Amino acid sequence: MLELQQIGKSFPGVRALDGINLQFRPGEIHALLGENGAGKSTMIKVVSGIYPEYDGEFFVNGDKMTLKSYQDALDHGISVVNQEIQIIPESSVAENIVMDKLSNFKKKSGRVDWKAINAFAGKYLDMVELDIDPNTPIGPLSAAQKQLIQIAKSLSCDSKILILDEPTSSVTRHEAATLFSIMRKLKDQGVTLIFVSHKLEEIFEVCDLVTVIRDGRWVGTDLVGNLDREKIIEMMIGRKCSNEYLGNLNKIGEDIVLEAKGITKESEIHDASFELHRGEILGFYGLVGAGRTELAKILIGNSRADSGTISVEGKEVEIHSVSEAIYEHGIGYVSENRKEEGLILDFDVEQNIGITIWNELKHRFSRKIDDVAIRKEEQRHVDKLQIKITGLDQMVKNLSGGNQQKVSIAKWLAADCDILIIDEPTVGVDVGAKEYIHQLIWDLAKVQNKSIILISSDLPEMIKLARRILVFKEHEIVGELDDIHTRESLCEDQISRRIGEFLV
Amino acid sequence: MNSMVKKYIKRRESGIAIAAILIFILFSVITDSFLTAYNLFNISRTLSFYVFIALSQAVVLVVGGMNLSIGGIGALATITTGYLLQNVGVPSSVAVICALGIGIACGALNGFLITKVPLNAFIVTLSTSFIFTGLVYGISKGFSYTDIPKSFSLVGRKAFLGLPIIFWLMLVMLAVVFYIYQYTVTGRRMLATGGNKEAAELSGINTDRMILFSNILSGFFAALTGILYVSRMGSAQPATGTNWMIISFAVAIIGGTSLDGGVITAIGLFFGGVIMVLIKNGLILVEANVYFEQAFLGSIILLAVSLDRIQYFFSHVRKKMNDSKNK
Repeated sequence: MLELQQIGKSFPGVRALDGINLQFRPGEIHALLGENGAGKSTMIKVVSGIYPEYDGEFFVNGDKMTLKSYQDALDHGISVVNQEIQIIPESSVAENIVMDKLSNFKKKSGRVDWKAINAFAGKYLDMVELDIDPNTPIGPLSAAQKQLIQIAKSLSCDSKILILDEPTSSVTRHEAATLFSIMRKLKDQGVTLIFVSHKLEEIFEVCDLVTVIRDGRWVGTDLVGNLDREKIIEMMIGRKCSNEYLGNLNKIGEDIVLEAKGITKESEIHDASFELHRGEILGFYGLVGAGRTELAKILIGNSRADSGTISVEGKEVEIHSVSEAIYEHGIGYVSENRKEEGLILDFDVEQNIGITIWNELKHRFSRKIDDVAIRKEEQRHVDKLQIKITGLDQMVKNLSGGNQQKVSIAKWLAADCDILIIDEPTVGVDVGAKEYIHQLIWDLAKVQNKSIILISSDLPEMIKLARRILVFKEHEIVGELDDIHTRESLCEDQISRRIGEFLV
Repeated sequence: MNSMVKKYIKRRESGIAIAAILIFILFSVITDSFLTAYNLFNISRTLSFYVFIALSQAVVLVVGGMNLSIGGIGALATITTGYLLQNVGVPSSVAVICALGIGIACGALNGFLITKVPLNAFIVTLSTSFIFTGLVYGISKGFSYTDIPKSFSLVGRKAFLGLPIIFWLMLVMLAVVFYIYQYTVTGRRMLATGGNKEAAELSGINTDRMILFSNILSGFFAALTGILYVSRMGSAQPATGTNWMIISFAVAIIGGTSLDGGVITAIGLFFGGVIMVLIKNGLILVEANVYFEQAFLGSIILLAVSLDRIQYFFSHVRKKMNDSKNK
């Protein structure tokens, strides 16, 4: 049992955690919820030894803990499975599992005992029901598989307290199901599980207890059965949330803005064909690596297809570069990876939004960029998206995840593309910002009549926004759901089941 | 651009400027021969060369690359000038244009290999530096070209308003560089390429073209420096450029050019050059053993890079504080 008493933690100028009293019992899956910045991560870092200095105290099975490092936490049976997957891609699965105890696997000659390592790792791979050879390199495996390997690694440390920090943020519902069944198994074995997720439906599926924190303070703890979605969101954001149902999109005409025929690129996408209508939101659903992002990158000229044709506004085109896609065909791409591909973190908001419009707003002879016009245009989008910044000069790296995502989207609103491909727009974004982004995408299609391709592995998000859903599996489009527009009668489970049928 | 970036740059730049002024005062006090008109004239001329050398490195550092072959390109431009003036007897202007053309071609070759093959900038420019240097010694057979017209030395030796002409030329170049990176689309796109290549690419920037262009610019500055050396020396020496690599990194880094790309400041480069030249000049004036010079230079670079890291560390601490404030 993990017990927190009056835990607090201050950073210069801010009280990140304040007077937290909590108990996490063995054989219990305890959800820890809160918006980005509510203090979840700080709390996890305190109990896992990463922040050795804090106020208050915490106990494991009645023993007071004074942890100096994460290694110290591991030795006391506390381990964390992170949202950012920490692996060494070139090494084998087994090596990744035993990395921190490699010295236990030494032969007398001083050489590494690979047989023992593989046998040891195999045992824990079985526990998490992963049927892979411990010898295979870990790099090419799927995000879900890597997550399970991380759990196997935690189990191999004989952890009694397992903290899962957003383990499902980059895996689909179908993959998450495996994870949940393993969590239940561990629960039965008496492990204490702490589960952090932004996907509320997962909480109802797998958790027993829910604790919500806000602004570093405890808001409430209750049995999951006593709560519903609206109640939890209200606890998290401190106010009631708006209705989920967004209404209907405009009647979609025959007007096809983008058409792909037989797009094929070796080991990325095979024979993909689809049509995108004006004012439509078309969903690309599937696992990470199933070919969704790969197809998107071909559509924006970032990579070239081996064969197949693309037509924009009825005319067949060849798109050689991203700049051609933006400036000649009006196709923009909001990356799933805002930190690596979407933003320049060391630059300010002004430069990050302005990057797509510099070229239009320069003086013809002096080539000087018209800063005044740029800032005016940018401020318009910042206001519209309600991006919380101190000014256009604020560094993007200092913004919260949700605001960063809004900046990433603002860049494309400024570019004024008619076709927008939006890839995983709400990964790692808290509930409030998530709703806002959903509404924004909806308005783009409904009010501005833009055509949108939404790539997501978040099924509720997909059902909420998409008019049609294309299901991707192993580099192919394996199915299409085109009758989910009768939104009043939509039933998530039904749609989920039908997608499941495609994926089998 | 905007006030906060300006504030940030100013903080960075003012640190460098203060350091330069302190060193200046130090040498003025401890030696008699430092604060003389003759010495100051010499210093400002050497400073100009350092800034030119640093520019040829900084423009590729900006896009996240590097150029180890600037010395080779400079030498190639030097002996091209000498060969054309002495052995062919072309007018000075033709020699200069040809030498600059060679520099641009060398930069283009580097850029092509880096972006189109594609290869790592370190490997490419390390290899081409040997190729260029080999060509220099093959063509010149190790001898200097000394039959250079007197008029060619005008720029390198004469003064204007009491300061060397090349000093004014250097200021003009810095102003041009400042304008390009601060105000033009191409400049901002080069900065963005260095800031985050993937994000720049996906925002419609042809990053390969930016990297190619930066390498051409680097070759241009290296060749220009080589030509100015001919003008300064009155002869074209194949050994030109042998110590440029270390100078270029030292001045660029002291001057606040980020090794990770995305940052360049003209004022920083200027004061970086000042610090460098003062330390070199001061060591001679205090009669330090000049044979240790390389060791001093190496230490200065290490110090400057550490400062860069320390700044990085502090900016992270600031970020953490800001983050928690936002929470």
